Amino acid sequence: MAFIRLAFNNLLRHRLRSLLTLVGIAASVTVLFSILSFNRGFERGLADEIRRTGIHFMVVPAGCPHEVASLVLHGAVTPKFIDTAVVERIRGAADVDLVSPMLITQVPNVERDRLDMVYGLEMSHVPEIKAGWRVEGRIPGDGAGLLLGAEVAAHDGLAIGDRIRYGEREFTVSGIIGKTGSQDDAFVYMPVAALQEILKKRGGLTAAGVKVARPERLEEITAELSATVPGIQIVTMNEVMRSLATLANSAKVLSLSIAVIAILISAVGVMNSILMAIFERTREIGMMRAVGASRADIFRIILQETVLLTAAGGVCGILLSTLGAGVIEGFVREVMPYVPSGRMIHFDPMLAAGCVAFTLVVGMAAGGYPSWKASNINPIEAIKG
Amino acid sequence: MIQLKNITKDYTRGAEKVHALGGVDLSIDRGEFISIVGPSGSGKTTLLHILGCLDRPTGGTMTIDGQTVGDLPESALVRLRRKKIGFVFQQFHLIPGLSVFDNISLPLLFSRNGNGKGENRDRIMSLIGMVGLERRARHHPNQLSGGEMQRVAVARAMVNDPEIIFADEPTGNLDTANSEKIFRLLESLHTKGLSIVMVTHNPDLAGRAGRIVTLRDGRIVSPPAGRQYLEMGGGLPLDHDMKKADIERHLSS
Ligand SMILES: Nc1ncnc2c1ncn2[C@@H]1O[C@H](COP(=O)(O)OP(=O)(O)OP(=O)(O)O)[C@@H](O)[C@H]1O
Ligand SMILES: [Mg+2]
Repeated sequence: MAFIRLAFNNLLRHRLRSLLTLVGIAASVTVLFSILSFNRGFERGLADEIRRTGIHFMVVPAGCPHEVASLVLHGAVTPKFIDTAVVERIRGAADVDLVSPMLITQVPNVERDRLDMVYGLEMSHVPEIKAGWRVEGRIPGDGAGLLLGAEVAAHDGLAIGDRIRYGEREFTVSGIIGKTGSQDDAFVYMPVAALQEILKKRGGLTAAGVKVARPERLEEITAELSATVPGIQIVTMNEVMRSLATLANSAKVLSLSIAVIAILISAVGVMNSILMAIFERTREIGMMRAVGASRADIFRIILQETVLLTAAGGVCGILLSTLGAGVIEGFVREVMPYVPSGRMIHFDPMLAAGCVAFTLVVGMAAGGYPSWKASNINPIEAIKG
Repeated sequence: MIQLKNITKDYTRGAEKVHALGGVDLSIDRGEFISIVGPSGSGKTTLLHILGCLDRPTGGTMTIDGQTVGDLPESALVRLRRKKIGFVFQQFHLIPGLSVFDNISLPLLFSRNGNGKGENRDRIMSLIGMVGLERRARHHPNQLSGGEMQRVAVARAMVNDPEIIFADEPTGNLDTANSEKIFRLLESLHTKGLSIVMVTHNPDLAGRAGRIVTLRDGRIVSPPAGRQYLEMGGGLPLDHDMKKADIERHLSS
C-alpha cells in the first residue's frame, strides 16, 4: 500500500463532500482557464485581423479621441469629419499605395422605423481592406448596391435582390457577408459616395485607411503627412491594436480577478472540507501515530489528500472549459467591448498545465494548515477519543 | 528489557492537578506476559502509553534495552515504536475503507520496512492465517464481527515483527468466546517469545498471565496484595461481570 492510496481512500469515504468540494474547484478553474484561453485568442485574433486588413494606418479628424479612432475600423460613429480634399492630398503623397475613405453613421430607415448603422466605403477596396469576408452574392460597384452584415440580413429576413430605401434613394442588396462573429455583422455597407449624398455631406468622411507602398518607410510617411496635412490625426495599426487591447483590458482584469477570487473561495472550501475530515478521523490519526506514523507522515497523508482533491478539480475544470468553450465564448462576446472575428478559445496545453499547476499551489496552501493541525494531534488523547 | 524507576505522570485539568501515576517502579523482562489490573482511573492506560513510548512521564526514568528513553528525541521514539512495539486497542481502530489485508499492512507504510511486494504479501498473508481470517483478507472492517476485527488488530500489531505488544483492554468490547480467542492468540505470541503487556478488567484472563501488576491510585500495589485484591474482586467495576466463583476457580487452578 502507498501513501497516495490512503489519501484516495480517505476522500472516497465522504464521496458527496469530496464531490462538492471538487465541483467548487472545477468551477473556478473552468472560469480561470476560459478567461485565460479567451485572452490568448483575443490577442491572436486581433493581430490576425489587423494583419488581414491590408491597411497600415488610419487618418482621422484631429482631436478625435484615440480609442474612438481605433474603433473606426470596426464602426464607431464619430462627431467629427475629415474632408475628401484631404484624402486627395494624401493620395498624392509619396509612397502611398491606397487610400480608402470610410464614412460611418446612423441613417433613418423609414420603412422599419429605426436607425440603421451604415458603413460607407469604396466597394472596390473591399477585397483588400476586408480580406476576411466571405461574401455571398457579389460585391456591388459604386452604384446602388448594398452589402449586408450577417446579423442585419438574418434579423430583417433580407435576401439578395431585396430592396431598401434610405432617404430619397433605393438600394438593392447585392451580397450578404458570411458571419464574422465581430461588429462587422451589424452593419449595412454602401458605396461611400451614395452615403455622402444621403447625408448631404459631400466630401465628409469619418476616416480614411491608408496602405503604403513601402511599409519599411511607414514612420517617415506618417511624420511627413502629419506635418504637411492640417486637421488630421494619424493612428497606426499598432496603435489601433494597442488601444483595442487597452479597451479590452479592464474587462480582462475584472474577469481575471473574479476567477482568482473564485479559486480562493474554493480553496477555503477545500480547507474546510479537509479540516472536517481530520476532525472526524482524530482517533484514526492517533492510532496511526501509535502504530509508527511520525508527525511528518501524518502531514504528508493529509497534504496528499488535499492535493489529490484540488488536482482532480483542476483537471475537471480544464475539461469543462474545453467542452463548454462555445457557450463561454458566446457569453464573453456579450460582455467585452470589442471582440475580433473568428473563434477565440483554442485549447492550449501549456496554458492548461499552468492552470493545473496554479491550482495545485493553491491546494497545497489550503492543505498546509489542516495538515499541520493533523500532525499536531496528540496521539494519546486521540486514541482515548 | 524495560525498567521504570519512580515514574510519575501529572495531568492538569483546569486548575486542578491530577496525579495519574504516583511513582511506579516496574521491570519487564524479555518474554514476559504481564497483566495490568486495577480500578477505573487507577492509571493503567497512562502507564501503558508511557511504556509504549506514546507518552512521556512527568518524572522518573525509563530505560528500554539499557537506553534511557527520557533523553531520546521524538524521532527516536517513533523509530522505537516502529521497530519494537505493537499496539492493540479496546476499540480496534481499524480504517473503515481499507480491506483486512491493507489494514494489516498499514504499519509497513510508516516503518518503510517492506521488502518488496511479494515478500510483504507473504508476510501479511501468513499473519492473516495466524489469526484465522484467510477467507476474510479482502473484506472490509464493517463486514467483520468484533472478535474478527480485534484479530485483524493483533495481526496489524505483529506486522513489523515487534518485541513487545501492549494491549489496552483488548477484550473489553468482546463476549466471552471472542475474548478467549484473542487471549489465546496473545498467549501463542507469548510462546513464540514476544513480551505481552495487557491491561484488563477481566480477572479470569488477568489471572492466566505470567504476572499480575495491580495499580491503585497511580501506584503498584505489592504482589500479594494484588492477589488478595483480585480475590476479593475489590475495586473492580461491577459492570465487568465479576463472579467470585470465577476468580476462585482460576486462583486455585
Ligand atoms: N488527558 C488527561 N487529562 C487529565 N486527566 C487525565 C487525562 N488522562 C487521564 N487522566 C486522569 O488520569 C487518571 C488515570 O487515567 P487512566 O486512563 O490511566 O486510567 P485507567 O486505569 O486506564 O482507567 P480505565 O480502567 O477507566 O481505562 C484518571 O484519574 C484520569 O481521569
Ligand atoms: Mg484505560
